[in-house]
Amino acid sequence: MAGLGGGEAAYRLRMPSTRRHARRRPGSAGAVVAGVLGEVLLTLGVVLALFVVWQLWWTSVVAGREADAVVDAFRQAVPAAAAAETPLRTDDPPVAEPVAHGGTIGVLTVPRWEGLTNNAMPVVEGTSQDLLDRALAGRYSSTQQLGEVGNTVLAGHRRSYGDSFRYVNRLEPGDPIIVETATTWYVYEVTGDEIVTPDTTDVLLPVPRQPGVEPTERTLTLTTCHSLTLGEYGNDHRWITYARFVGWLDRADGTPPQLREGTA
Amino acid sequence: MYAWVFRHLPGPLPVRVLLALVLLAGAVAALFTWVFPAVAPYLEVLGGDPALD
Repeated sequence: MAGLGGGEAAYRLRMPSTRRHARRRPGSAGAVVAGVLGEVLLTLGVVLALFVVWQLWWTSVVAGREADAVVDAFRQAVPAAAAAETPLRTDDPPVAEPVAHGGTIGVLTVPRWEGLTNNAMPVVEGTSQDLLDRALAGRYSSTQQLGEVGNTVLAGHRRSYGDSFRYVNRLEPGDPIIVETATTWYVYEVTGDEIVTPDTTDVLLPVPRQPGVEPTERTLTLTTCHSLTLGEYGNDHRWITYARFVGWLDRADGTPPQLREGTA
Repeated sequence: MYAWVFRHLPGPLPVRVLLALVLLAGAVAALFTWVFPAVAPYLEVLGGDPALD
């Protein structure tokens, strides 16, 4: 009876697989389609969730790395600024040299954003999306150069791609904004902000929102995305922050004390 | 679909679980590297162009 027992064992071992097939086979075509459809829908849901993760997190990881590389390259190319904190000069500042599209103008520092977002981001020439997607602040080429009388305007992403200007809503009047070029520190302080529609291009004028008016002072304007309903997560509007020029320093002469404000 | 893939993976169970994880990681990497950057401009809810038009 050993032979029979062996056969029985073999039969039993094969059982699960045959039964699995047996259970599947009678399933109608409809059941198979429903099963596959369920898996496809489940997959789509997971892919959508992954897309949000990618957009909110991964783009910033990649863009942050690229921005850091640009800042490093800038810092290596120019002599280090003198470390001594030195009072600002209030006479006429030098006008920044024009830079080709995509070229590095300098580094933007907003002490209020210290510890919140990357607080030393590159400023480059131009506002095309491929530049801004690398966590760079871009200068609108139609606006004035740093140091020139008129309005220098920078664009940056609000959320994702480095979250460049994410906390623009936390800026308060008087907060310093510092742009350093290869030779000069330009220091501004926030004067106010407003929320506009994306076609409100007159914020780019030499005197923002005032067409035809001759500028007499130097201003810096930051533009980024904003949503009336989604806040920092939407882009149906634009958040505009205005700042006025308060002084400058030659890098060789020292470092503006404003650079450390908010970090203390 | 996933059951079919899993049944066609070679080797004992631990190996197949490992292979499945490798496949999954590959799929996510492909999405992050190629698919999402390609479709992002069409889904501009978040990362839209912050410049003024």
